[in-house]
Amino acid sequence: MDAKKRSSLIIFVCCSILFCFAGCADNEYVDTTLGLTVQQLDGDLDDRWSTTGVVIKNIHAGKTSNQPEIKEGELISHVIGERTINTSSDFNQAIESAMRDGNSFTLEFTNNNQKRRRQRFSVRREGDNVGISVDDNNRIKEIKSGSLANNAGLEEGDQVLTVIDAKNIRTIKDYKKAVKEFSRSKAKISFRTKELIGVKIAAINALARIADASAVETMIRFLEGTDLPLREPAAKGLERLVALSQLNDLFQQFQQEKANQLSTEELNSEALQRAGILGLLAVDLQTNQAILKDPIGTEFRRRSATLYQKISSTKITELAKKYIKREIEPNQEIRRSCLSILGNLQPESVIGDLIAVLEDNQETSGIRFKAGSTLSQIGSPAVEPLIVSFGNGDSGIRDITASSLGNIGGSQARQALIAFLKNENNETTKLTLVDAIAQIGDETSIRILEEQQESLDKNSGLATFLNEILTQRTETKGPEAEADSLDFLKDL
Amino acid sequence: MKAIVNTLLWGITVSLLVFFGSGCTSQNTDLSKGKELIKSDKRRKEERAVEKFKLAVGAIQNNTKDSAEANYLLGFYDSQDFYDADKETEAYNAASISERGDHMYKAYSNSPKEYLEILIFETLRSQDPNIQDAARHALKKVYEYDNRQKLLKAIKKAITSKDNRDREDARTIYTAIGKDPRFTQETVEILIELLDHKRKETRLNVVKSLGEIGSEIAIGKLVKIINSGSEKWKREREGPEVRRLAVEALGKIGGQAVGELVKIIQNKGSSMRVDAIQALEKLGDERAIAPLLNVLNEQGGREVTVSY
Repeated sequence: MDAKKRSSLIIFVCCSILFCFAGCADNEYVDTTLGLTVQQLDGDLDDRWSTTGVVIKNIHAGKTSNQPEIKEGELISHVIGERTINTSSDFNQAIESAMRDGNSFTLEFTNNNQKRRRQRFSVRREGDNVGISVDDNNRIKEIKSGSLANNAGLEEGDQVLTVIDAKNIRTIKDYKKAVKEFSRSKAKISFRTKELIGVKIAAINALARIADASAVETMIRFLEGTDLPLREPAAKGLERLVALSQLNDLFQQFQQEKANQLSTEELNSEALQRAGILGLLAVDLQTNQAILKDPIGTEFRRRSATLYQKISSTKITELAKKYIKREIEPNQEIRRSCLSILGNLQPESVIGDLIAVLEDNQETSGIRFKAGSTLSQIGSPAVEPLIVSFGNGDSGIRDITASSLGNIGGSQARQALIAFLKNENNETTKLTLVDAIAQIGDETSIRILEEQQESLDKNSGLATFLNEILTQRTETKGPEAEADSLDFLKDL
Repeated sequence: MKAIVNTLLWGITVSLLVFFGSGCTSQNTDLSKGKELIKSDKRRKEERAVEKFKLAVGAIQNNTKDSAEANYLLGFYDSQDFYDADKETEAYNAASISERGDHMYKAYSNSPKEYLEILIFETLRSQDPNIQDAARHALKKVYEYDNRQKLLKAIKKAITSKDNRDREDARTIYTAIGKDPRFTQETVEILIELLDHKRKETRLNVVKSLGEIGSEIAIGKLVKIINSGSEKWKREREGPEVRRLAVEALGKIGGQAVGELVKIIQNKGSSMRVDAIQALEKLGDERAIAPLLNVLNEQGGREVTVSY
């Protein structure tokens, strides 16, 4: 190898090394054209969230570009260039560039009626031909038959005004290239920004868990909004906030004592159970102490009162009432959350709406039962409507209403259930009725069930079921029954 | 002549055997009986063995190998799990975790080199959390009262080991020592140095330990790791697993770390935003509320013209 060849080889190798390093180091780019510094996204953003692009690190002051619209921290997924077409060469260059870096572009044109139209073209493979050529007055002179343009309704003579090319940005290099190219061709440049919906969902969940009163309006805004992926988390968030607000009395006891630990004897056991399920406290069964979980329970102690006031002063009942209707709300998880909200607020005004859900045979059985249990939570005012519904309903409705009546209890519900049992022919409904009467569990109910048991054929399904219920009842009756009710809180 | 040499050689061999043999049989009777019981299939063997180990500990002279072994075994087996709770014998309720750990520490004091290795590389591998706690109690005492440098060297060996169990166990020792406010600063400084270790799994455990210790001293370094995702050079970027754990660690530290978590939430180019939100959610800190509401007001998925 002669000296000349050797030195060119060395220069080539050195340049290659320098080039490689320069390429690797391109993690940030100062864009003097638009007055921005952009930064490559976190490496694993792509792996975890399938997100690529660049983020705006700084916006430089004093530039002429339209910067106030864009904000630092925004994530650019596309750089869009809107090229004005004056000549056929402009058109050819714009299309060539769009097809080289992607497989779609939008054409803005006017037709014979001078009406402006936009048409998006998307080819199967990068580089495919669109099938249009324009003359020097940028009018379409030829459309290949069977081409995309032909099928898109373009006509010869239409005037092409702009070619809008949205370049997908994966790396700093893509950004640099797109901005350089568009500014060279004096195109109007726009950014398409992206948001990670997962981040917003996480924020909604976090706000619901932190349970500050300020989150209530936000949850309502998203529930009523059009951002579909956020509506369900918002409904669940609101459900949690309402449930927590109903524990205010319990948390005020802790707050008044300025304590994170109180004896269970001083506290309402039902509220303790609910607070346990919501993850705010645990009960130590050996010492009979209810201990607020740190920090979620201890922090909520201070926020409980304002949350309660906020929930009480907001028209949440009306909102939930609206979204339990299948015709209005297609997402059954949202319907379920709204039923839960009503169960916690227990407004008598929604009894009719709940009965309607319960009776809706197009609704899923889970939601119908949930409507039944919401009526049980409302309690005695719901007894009369439930009795009416049982009387008019089919076996499906009877199952739900009987269970709800059993859960509410009281003499009126009991008498109705007993009367229904006497007249009922459907074996499955009979089982539900027996179960519901056993659920009431007072002396009269048990006496009725025992009488029923005696009158039955011992081999019948109902007799076996009754036997099981009555035996279970004798076994669980005793001093430990109450302690058992708190037992599950131990591990929460 | 040859016969005389042969006889002499035989004589020496036999005397040596007798000497060593007598050495082996001289182990304290209670200690050996206890060890036999442990190996046996006898009923309530541990409870009975512990009685023997107690006798052995009382009888054996200090600073001997036997004394070390008896103390170690006593610390290892003197567990309430082996006693009959209904009978509430005298032995029941006898040994707390710290008392068991004290016996393990005595074992170490009697034979430091051997038991430092055993405690770190064997005892901590026990499935029984009480035994692990006792071992950590003993090791913390070594740190506090004995050869701190040797202990630190041994834990470093464990946390940089190829074996995951060693690394996890070492992490729990650093955490146990670092949680004591008197030793927090030194432990955190050691851990911060270990964050530059080449083994990713070592760094994972170090970050976990920093979170468990919960000291604000570590915040700066953890933030640096988290933000390294957008460093200029690839070699300066920490992997996502370590960075995620670093965010979680900030959440455990709380206090001043809340501000740093908020900054992560505000950086739209970070892949750790959801992790930071979840960390703040667990903390329940009210300083998180406004930034979280801001996240929900963020504009995205829009087109903005920047140049005409």
